[in-house]
Amino acid sequence: MSMNVIETSGLSKRYGSTWALHECALAIPAGHVAALVGPNGAGKTTLLNLAVGMLAPTTGTIEVLGGRPAGSPAALDGIAFVAQDTPLYKNLSAADMLHLTRNLNHRFDQAYAQARLAELGIPLKRKTGKLSGGQQAQLALTLALARRPRLLLLDEPVAMLDPVARHDFMATVLTAMADEGVSVVLSSHVLAELERVADYLILLSRGRVQVAGEVDDLLASHLVLTGPAAEAGRYAERPVVHVRRGEAQAHLLVRASADDPVPPGWEAHPVGLEELVLAYLREPHAAALPGPARGRALPFEIGEPTEVTR
Amino acid sequence: MDRSMHSDQHLRVSDAEREAVAGRLAEHFAVGRLDQAEFDDRVGRAMSAKTRGDLSELFAGLSEAGAPAVPALPRESGGSAEGGPRGPGSPIEFRLDAASGVPTYLQLVQQVEHALRLGYLKSGDQLPKVRDVVASLAINPNTVLKAYRELEIKGLAAGRPGQGTFVQASLGQVALPELAGLHKSLLGWLTTAEAAGLDEDGIVALFTSALRDFYKGRGGTGDRRGGAGGETEGVA
Repeated sequence: MSMNVIETSGLSKRYGSTWALHECALAIPAGHVAALVGPNGAGKTTLLNLAVGMLAPTTGTIEVLGGRPAGSPAALDGIAFVAQDTPLYKNLSAADMLHLTRNLNHRFDQAYAQARLAELGIPLKRKTGKLSGGQQAQLALTLALARRPRLLLLDEPVAMLDPVARHDFMATVLTAMADEGVSVVLSSHVLAELERVADYLILLSRGRVQVAGEVDDLLASHLVLTGPAAEAGRYAERPVVHVRRGEAQAHLLVRASADDPVPPGWEAHPVGLEELVLAYLREPHAAALPGPARGRALPFEIGEPTEVTR
Repeated sequence: MDRSMHSDQHLRVSDAEREAVAGRLAEHFAVGRLDQAEFDDRVGRAMSAKTRGDLSELFAGLSEAGAPAVPALPRESGGSAEGGPRGPGSPIEFRLDAASGVPTYLQLVQQVEHALRLGYLKSGDQLPKVRDVVASLAINPNTVLKAYRELEIKGLAAGRPGQGTFVQASLGQVALPELAGLHKSLLGWLTTAEAAGLDEDGIVALFTSALRDFYKGRGGTGDRRGGAGGETEGVA
């Protein structure tokens, strides 16, 4: 289980004069649902496309599934990718898509795919373009899972779906994880649903990795301190990520654990994933990365120490 | 005890059965299905009931899926649970409250503790299978595993390889009449608090802060959210 499903070093991708990704060092361990989060244009889709080998890095390296170079036959064998906007041939029927996918892949679990589509009640004769958004997404996911991947990559999988379809889609993904031990890396804008789905977070900002780590570790190492605004400066020495200040009262998101002393007059609250992500998104220069903290007051350890990217 | 519940309505009842019914009523009271006056009234009628039919009437409007109106005498713990007729499933089903702010794994832990306290779960019962929880709630399997690990650390559940996770112990149970008494004195306190001018949010804030101080004052190490304090977040 110590394998990394995606590992990058100095990974950069440039389009013209724009760096879509810049000097990314990542090590995403197996056995997680890792969420790729960040504003539009942060580099999420670029990173996923690099991981499947649809793009080649400008500089640096990217390996998948424990050291297989991205895009190599050995790598592709273990990966399934569902791109944004559900990649189906809209004029083919679901049955045709099944047939096509089976013939394009040397490993394809036909029995699983058929059972799953029957369970979902997807009409096999209908053109995929005429299926509902939820059914199209489930069909694309079923075709991906029938390849029996070790790593499933999903680019904005639920963005276009209604709440029920979203729930059912994620239930299929997570059940595959429970049954087969599939690792998942997905990009998403839906922050509120991340908390129940993702247990590993990668926050990308302007092409750089801003936060990376297990969700539990990230939440356990951050606190919100609430107290008098006049005293907020007292925390100048502490690793403050984000400050929200009123005339009298201030909220500080700080890197600290629940065991750290809280000064009199201040209250400490645990932070939720959504609040944490929002705070970092608003402070593009703050970072929480594995390895030695960059000259900050508190040590910050997540998993294996790796190279610091900034 | 295996007789049908329907044909025995004329049978005379024993004190033990009256007690059992009072206990069930206290349970309904504790979860708020009965107010104080109604509870007192029904317990009074239970104590003077003569037949099973009299007892059945006391549960009017309190129907609970799957629970017999008049309970058979409490089942022996561990008796019918293993390989019993209960089927492969678990007696409980989890739900999630996204707005509660309580971490998902902790919600699962608390629901198991709650079910233990109210008797929905007994020693030997199986907890929902990880896969089933994942499929029905669309949550990360690691979250369910973490909740079950936490229950194992607390000594409340144990994993059996290849089978699942089972309830191992009952939670330091408070007897139901005592629970009703505590509920009653809390209602008294709430009346005082309201009279002093606190609204609902104020009361919650005050209670939460007092609860935190109470457990912190006990020297927070070790059993940081042990036993009945399970609802508090161990954050100082």
